[in-house]
Amino acid sequence: MSAIPRRADIAVIGAGVAGLCTALFLARAGRTVAVLERGEAWGESSGANAGTLSLQVKRNEVLQVSRRAIELWRDFQERDGMEIGFARIGGLRVATSERELVNLRKSQGEQAALGVATEWYDGNRLRDFAPWLGPEVQAATYCDWDSMSVPLTAGHGLVMAVRAAGVTVATGAAVTAIARDGEGFCLQVGSEIVGAAQIVIAAGAWTGDVAQMLGVRLPVAADINMLTISEPAPRLFDRVVTHIGAILSLKQYPNGSVLIGGGWQGTGDLAQGTRRTDYLNLVHNLRVAMQVVPALRHLRMVRSWAGYEGVAADALPLFGALPGVPGAFVNACARGGYHQGPALGEQMAEMILGRKLSLDMRAFDPGRFAA
Amino acid sequence: MKDADLAIVGAGPAGMAAAAEAASLGLGVTVIDDNARAGGQYFRQPPAGFRHTGAMFLDKDRARGSVLAAALRHPAVAHWQDAVVWDMPEPGVLAVAAGEGSGRVRAKAILVATGAQDRPVPFPGWTLPGVVSAGGLQNLLKGQRVVPGRRAVVVGNGPLLLLIGANLVRAGVEVAAVVEAAPIWNRILPALASLARAPDMLALAIRYRAVLARAGVPVLAGWTVTGAKGDEAVTGCRVAPIDTQGRLDRARERSFDCDLLVAGFGLMPSLELPRLIGAELAYDRRRGGWTVKRDADFQCSVPNVHVAGDGAGIGGAEMALLEGRIAARAVARKLGKQVPADDDLRRAWAKRDAFRRGLEAIYAPPASFLDLMTEDTVVCRCEDVTVGDIAKRRSELAGSVTQVKATTRLSMGRCQGRNCLVTLAAMVAKDTGVDMATIPLPRPRPPLRPIPIGDLAFEDIPPPDIPADPHLPRKQRA
Amino acid sequence: MSRIDEGLERGTAFAFTLDGQKVEAYPGETIAAALLASGVRALRRTAKRQQPRSLYCGMGICWECLVTVDGAPSQRACMTEAKPGMRVETQKGVGR
Repeated sequence: MSAIPRRADIAVIGAGVAGLCTALFLARAGRTVAVLERGEAWGESSGANAGTLSLQVKRNEVLQVSRRAIELWRDFQERDGMEIGFARIGGLRVATSERELVNLRKSQGEQAALGVATEWYDGNRLRDFAPWLGPEVQAATYCDWDSMSVPLTAGHGLVMAVRAAGVTVATGAAVTAIARDGEGFCLQVGSEIVGAAQIVIAAGAWTGDVAQMLGVRLPVAADINMLTISEPAPRLFDRVVTHIGAILSLKQYPNGSVLIGGGWQGTGDLAQGTRRTDYLNLVHNLRVAMQVVPALRHLRMVRSWAGYEGVAADALPLFGALPGVPGAFVNACARGGYHQGPALGEQMAEMILGRKLSLDMRAFDPGRFAA
Repeated sequence: MKDADLAIVGAGPAGMAAAAEAASLGLGVTVIDDNARAGGQYFRQPPAGFRHTGAMFLDKDRARGSVLAAALRHPAVAHWQDAVVWDMPEPGVLAVAAGEGSGRVRAKAILVATGAQDRPVPFPGWTLPGVVSAGGLQNLLKGQRVVPGRRAVVVGNGPLLLLIGANLVRAGVEVAAVVEAAPIWNRILPALASLARAPDMLALAIRYRAVLARAGVPVLAGWTVTGAKGDEAVTGCRVAPIDTQGRLDRARERSFDCDLLVAGFGLMPSLELPRLIGAELAYDRRRGGWTVKRDADFQCSVPNVHVAGDGAGIGGAEMALLEGRIAARAVARKLGKQVPADDDLRRAWAKRDAFRRGLEAIYAPPASFLDLMTEDTVVCRCEDVTVGDIAKRRSELAGSVTQVKATTRLSMGRCQGRNCLVTLAAMVAKDTGVDMATIPLPRPRPPLRPIPIGDLAFEDIPPPDIPADPHLPRKQRA
Repeated sequence: MSRIDEGLERGTAFAFTLDGQKVEAYPGETIAAALLASGVRALRRTAKRQQPRSLYCGMGICWECLVTVDGAPSQRACMTEAKPGMRVETQKGVGR
């Protein structure tokens, strides 16, 4: 357990992407912030996800947040010098059946209406544009916003940057109870008490548990997403690849390793802390990958793993004031939350600082679940 | 999905002996092995294209090995060659990668007989071409009948060094020295009673020593390699004595020219499968470090999974043969077969066990070999991670092993940590002043070995369940 | 750097190439054995520090002896049987 601060303006619970980004923007605005993390910083969903920053794969409701997030990830790396592994390489979202073609067209139209233009490729144009796609891919939309990052190094980069900004990141610091203390809060961390004027629950899949400490029920499910990484290989493809029908994400890192994900489910139980890969789903995941990029069959897989992802019942972020508890906020459980983390952190900081939000975040208010 | 009474992982001494025993007791057996030919490392057979014309020194165990391998042709045994066990997705089920034949096998019991690997001990220059592990050298000699050098130095710790030195001499290689870290000469007398429990093994050791003596090969006991020299390949090495406190005495360093440096710092059990399934382990440095906890029938803490041979804890081929047979009998008994009493096997095992203890007393290594490393020494071969790289991240990250792995990429390469994680654990143990036994290695994740993704294209399985809206929370299989 | 001939007969020698140069091998030999017997030392260079590497574990677990075989990168020389006419290439980093 690292040293626990006695007092902070704001205590952030959870050192994943949402918590760290919230802390970063608050610290930049001059607030003292303590991040309290039960395990290791970046130790759960933020470190165990695919690092996909695909805009066109997002739900319409989170397109604006997701686009802003890509700008911020780029800034983190290019302006602030963090090791994010960020690269805006563009992405293809593929369709392999008639039904998927229809859905892809529909999605393209909806995204265009929301200001996110994608380009349609099929036939010879598609083969010329992406000769590495398999013959079963009938069409794809190309989105030049789509990017990738390396979650492993991004975590390190962000933790270092957050600490450099003056934030205390305490690991092995599980919050076991929260009590009101006048206008503010007292948080029990082991035998220590941390005082804070405001708190932010950014505890991912455990957000429901933390909210419960303040008597608030939030419907949070834990998905168990699987990922597989290949051996490093010569360049096979050069875009982020996603799929409109089957679930898939693919990217090849600069070292040559291919990361294969998409959100196929492993097995396990959040309450018991168990999670592992599911044999049949893993096989399906890799078969879809081989269907889309056939050259993958010649690569060896080196490692597959499963990580939790907290998801609200309607798959939209839990973002805003905790209903009925003034001074307490939630920033958690966005589907694709790794991608959106920087923008959610920026908006959360604006909300806590009492500024007018630059994005419309009303649809994500946790109050939508209040009974 | 295939079915078997007993699935055996590995066709080395323990696996082959178990297969023969189980088949003779009426069990249906599947043996899965990642080599083209049965034998494992100890009974490694030359390729089928080689024709034997007469026995020579490398043929000492060949006849026995052939008899054991022949048992895998028993009609009740399915021998799955060039096949990698890469996961145990549920109890009793093994996932196997074997090209178009890839799939799963379900067994009533599983015997893990995965053997051992060389303990990686980094020292400056240990990644140079011409620096070969003890096991690797033995495989080249026994399996390929090739010697990869003209002038050799054999360094490290453990009884294999004398054997390798003698084999190289008999293969016509000039052996400049055998460099053994343990001060073995001072330790033989107290261990003699144990060693005498296996007079055959004792006689072998004396013979190897005699071969070396006749060839005039110095055996430096209580010395260690301190570095390999060379730019493109090894051209020599430095060695230094270890004082009574276990410190290197670099003032007395000597060097040898060589184009082959055999490094064997003892073996450690290949524990990836037991660790994957959460078998209880115990730390026992003398038996290779982490070992598998087992009952009298060599069953581990996971029901119906037995672990036999060096893959449970280093004991050598003779013990492995006995453990394989005892474990196979235990499985047959549990499955209702008529099985003779094990008394003779267990008595033989006890003798080998006593001999093993004697050897371990003689060869007990220094506390660690970490002092051999310098800033530039590579710890993780796959990702080229040096001692300096690790030190930099550890100071930045307050020493968290997980974050050191994530940011240096140590253990993230193809060998999956087999040649670096024990070194990282030893570094952490030393820095933090704790015992190695308190630092568990990270649990392996499938695949247990890198396997071609294409191998997963062949098995006949039910179609997938694709959610209508992939954004909504998903269901996991129970 | 030699083959042990005592006690066995190998089949008929054949040739494969390493970086275009002919190498002699015998039926059943691994690529690594044939190359080491011919005096070849480094089999590849690492991606990060361009270090020379060669056979180390000899049993398929260390992945140090990677070579490109008939265009397929990262094949283990210690586990892959040499075949007549095979085109073997030493490998830089991940290969091409």
